[in-house]
Amino acid sequence: MNFAERLADIRAQMQERKLDLLLAVHDGGHFIEKPNPVMVLSGFKSLGPAAALLHADGAIDLIVTPHWDAERAAEFCPDARVVGAEDVVDSALAKIKGNVAVGTSGLRALPYAMASRFAAALPSARSADKLVFDAARTKTSDEIANARAAARIAERGYERLLEIARPGMSEDELAVELKWCMKTLGAEDNFLLLCASSHNRAVQPSTGHRIQSGDIILAEITPSYRGQLTQICRTVVIGKPSDELVCKYRLVVHAMDEGVAAARPGVAMAEVCRAINAVLEAEGYGEYCHPPHIRRRGHGLGFGSARPGDVALDNTTVLEPDMLFMIHPNQYLPETGYLLCGEPVRLTEHGAELLTQHKAALVAVAG
Amino acid sequence: MFTSQPTLLIGPSDWDAEVMPKTEFTERIAALWDLYPEAPCAIVYGDRVHHAELAYLTNLAPKLEAAVALLFPDGEPELHVGGGPNMIGAARPLTFVTELKPLRGGEAIGRRAAESRARRSGAPLLIGGGYMPTALRQDIVEAIGEPPIDATAQVWTLMRRTTKYEQLAMYNTGVALGATVDAIVSAFEAGAGVTDAVLAGERAAYDDGAQDVRTLFSLNGGHTLQPFTAPIEQQVDPLQVYVAVRRFNYWAEGFDSISTKPQPAFDKAQDLLRLALAAIKPGVDPADVEKRVVTVMAPYRPHPVTEGALVSRIGMALEEPPHTNAGAPLQAWEFCSVRVGITDSAQNHAIASAMIRVRDEGLDVFWSAAPNPIEWRPPWWDKHTD
Repeated sequence: MNFAERLADIRAQMQERKLDLLLAVHDGGHFIEKPNPVMVLSGFKSLGPAAALLHADGAIDLIVTPHWDAERAAEFCPDARVVGAEDVVDSALAKIKGNVAVGTSGLRALPYAMASRFAAALPSARSADKLVFDAARTKTSDEIANARAAARIAERGYERLLEIARPGMSEDELAVELKWCMKTLGAEDNFLLLCASSHNRAVQPSTGHRIQSGDIILAEITPSYRGQLTQICRTVVIGKPSDELVCKYRLVVHAMDEGVAAARPGVAMAEVCRAINAVLEAEGYGEYCHPPHIRRRGHGLGFGSARPGDVALDNTTVLEPDMLFMIHPNQYLPETGYLLCGEPVRLTEHGAELLTQHKAALVAVAG
Repeated sequence: MFTSQPTLLIGPSDWDAEVMPKTEFTERIAALWDLYPEAPCAIVYGDRVHHAELAYLTNLAPKLEAAVALLFPDGEPELHVGGGPNMIGAARPLTFVTELKPLRGGEAIGRRAAESRARRSGAPLLIGGGYMPTALRQDIVEAIGEPPIDATAQVWTLMRRTTKYEQLAMYNTGVALGATVDAIVSAFEAGAGVTDAVLAGERAAYDDGAQDVRTLFSLNGGHTLQPFTAPIEQQVDPLQVYVAVRRFNYWAEGFDSISTKPQPAFDKAQDLLRLALAAIKPGVDPADVEKRVVTVMAPYRPHPVTEGALVSRIGMALEEPPHTNAGAPLQAWEFCSVRVGITDSAQNHAIASAMIRVRDEGLDVFWSAAPNPIEWRPPWWDKHTD
């Protein structure tokens, strides 16, 4: 699939739902969990709040803030009519003329100050979130290529972690170094969770905590390359790992392998989660396969659409080729604490293809 | 200035009592109660994008999930942190507040606020409510039972008065800004490509203890600015850059243009920057400063990036209200970024800026893209750095 085909699909859905206009809005606060309908419709990652209006005839208006970013947007989206605006709400509403059937996307994720103005001005607009994000449930060839590049960057970031992680270094220092390193490799953004403890309860954002010998470093390394996120989840021990830790990590990797094996076209996403859980339940960790210990076994990869959604028992999404998502058991075990283990996969007709060159394995660095 | 907002804040943000003692925060909160003596509590929202008010009152700059502070005139503050119980540990080092709880939704916050009305009957305060997701805000308001008072603007007014601790934090952030720009200049002079030069600056900022650094650069001689989207090996001359550095929750920013050749446009921008600085003192309307500069700008006109925002207040946020020159006159001890951008709409463009502190008799400059920005006077920060 390419970008034009995706847009054609969205327009066909608009016609089916009798929508004259699709209004997609994003506040510019880019976040891994917050899909960006403006990126889905335009591919453009804005600095500030932005809107894209897709008309029934295929014309696109792209409204960007700050106003001085319009030239960059126009270069990126040569087929769109680009407007630089001071206020994206006023500018977007000014583009909606007459009594047209409007579908909206992204409004629920907006801050109240923006969302309330759209809601007041467009009382009869219908939510079109499902239409927009479902259309982007599979990735375009460009997005897949970018995901591969991001996966390579993530792995090189991880190599850097192994080079420099040492006792006495703070989590923040390590995280900052990795972020910078991956930016030099092309990552324009990075959702990098990194923490260290002898017994982690979860993976968290870094703090000033100083890494100690015996700590287990958890790193959820998530660079974005040209607007496409990819992630690897890794666990590193400072010093010699205990036999128990080695054994438990093998278990988690085995669970991940089963999840990867279960991911095939035509299978519901819930089955991937079930396959992972089965391995852990068989070892007596059934109670740790549910909240509060674990919420999901993976997730989609944005920034555009986060479809196919979470690798979770309640996700009935049927998998299709060219879906892109994470499979990460990321399990809390009482003996070892939280362990990170996860790979990005692209679904092919034959099953899940790992985007990484080296699969997660427990690694020890000098303590 | 708008920059590309990262998906996660990565960098040292732990609360340091030596940099910003707890008394700083308790005095700020007390000033809030002075303004609203009937208010039983304040609900303060912040997320990783918008959190200036929350950071001002609690030091917490949320790195990942949003947080809500509940402040009481006669009780300990509470922080309700998003992401569940497992995120409490990562939030604890970032704040002086000791009562940390998982954020359980708007209804629970609203109920807690409503309970506090048993002690004072006024409406609760809401700060940063415009940044809240709609559902969270609605749940809070419904649980309170009446609309809260939006005190966001009043907090911004309080933030304009800076203490010696804040001034020292800003000064140190300015030092990091200087190191950042110097590193970009050095890399440029060593022949680095555009993004290598910018990344050399970012590296220097982090080495100087920055908790965040944002950059923009120009590939067309300052006509437009763009964020990093991918490595660019080409060299451009002149290299117009924008750098924003954050330390101790305070931002400093700078525009500079680097070249191996004479830059008439940048020379002009520097001259106009000096003119602007000479006009700044307490009581002056920022719009009047811009008018004075524009009057002598010919043959150039204001650059779109800085037009209407020549003097911008800066501190806990890169974009501080009112975002433009409109608004209150300047007052002593507030921090501003002064930016002069010019363009002839053809080949010549430049933006130069300075970081200043307004003071009784004029201003202090603690970073400037123009040499000799003001008549020399002893550096104001000497007393802080003995």
